[in-house]
Amino acid sequence: MSEQSWLASRVAFLRTISYFTNLGEEEARRVGRELLERSFDRGQLIFIEGESCDGLYLVKSGQVRLFKSSPEGREIVLLVARQGDTFNDAPAFDGGPNPVSATALEAATVYIVPRQTLLSLLEACPAAVGIVNVLAGRLRHLTKVVEDLSFRSVASRLAKLLLELAVAEERVAPIPRLTQDEMASMVGSVRDVVGRALRALEQTGAIKIQGHRILVVNAEMLRKML
Amino acid sequence: MASIVEISSEKCTGCGVCVIKCPTQAVALVDGKAVIVRSKACNYCTECETLCDFGAIRCPFEIILVEPEVGK
Repeated sequence: MSEQSWLASRVAFLRTISYFTNLGEEEARRVGRELLERSFDRGQLIFIEGESCDGLYLVKSGQVRLFKSSPEGREIVLLVARQGDTFNDAPAFDGGPNPVSATALEAATVYIVPRQTLLSLLEACPAAVGIVNVLAGRLRHLTKVVEDLSFRSVASRLAKLLLELAVAEERVAPIPRLTQDEMASMVGSVRDVVGRALRALEQTGAIKIQGHRILVVNAEMLRKML
Repeated sequence: MASIVEISSEKCTGCGVCVIKCPTQAVALVDGKAVIVRSKACNYCTECETLCDFGAIRCPFEIILVEPEVGK
């Protein structure tokens, strides 16, 4: 394949990806030149959750499975990326670690848009950098919510909520007030289950319930439940 | 400990279910609306909140961090 047709096929592919549809010809060619191409066998690991990120991944062919793993080895698939899909979008923009792991569901070839290349497209619009970082942060948060709902028990999610919200009485910050229904909606459960989970946490000695007060008396014990 | 049960007089229809079911008789109807009349008697079982079909009663919990004392 000549240099020209090699680049033309990359640019044509880029044009099918929403991110790059509106790129000018010169920029599209530059991005096309800077793409890294990688091929993976079926089942091969592409990257691991927590590692630093190479850039934005584009599926040229095949399918890629994006998943999270629990400490016990359970897995939840968050996305099967197919030809023309992007993945690992959040770290590609915010530079944080990969929020998920990726393996090739079948033999797959991907393009990687290096992070610097991606960020260079935003240079002309500083506000865009802020906007995509906020959106990347939201995406990370939602990924975490899915992880919590999938892998954690209600008691564990409640322990996390109490740790996040609890405020010492002598502090300036207002003490949060939540009904059991409100706690349930925040941990993705229902009132009765939350009521039982609160009693279970009390039995462990991590909290004490005194009338309308939930006292976090052993935060370390709650942390061990996460 | 005084109760912090919140009753919305706008939402309360005065049906009296909370008055009948309250195990400590802490709530009563006053001018046709449910009111906590014996705050110290309320044991915060939150039954009234569960039973109210009109969403008029909230039983929020304060979430308080008890920090370990220094040196312990």
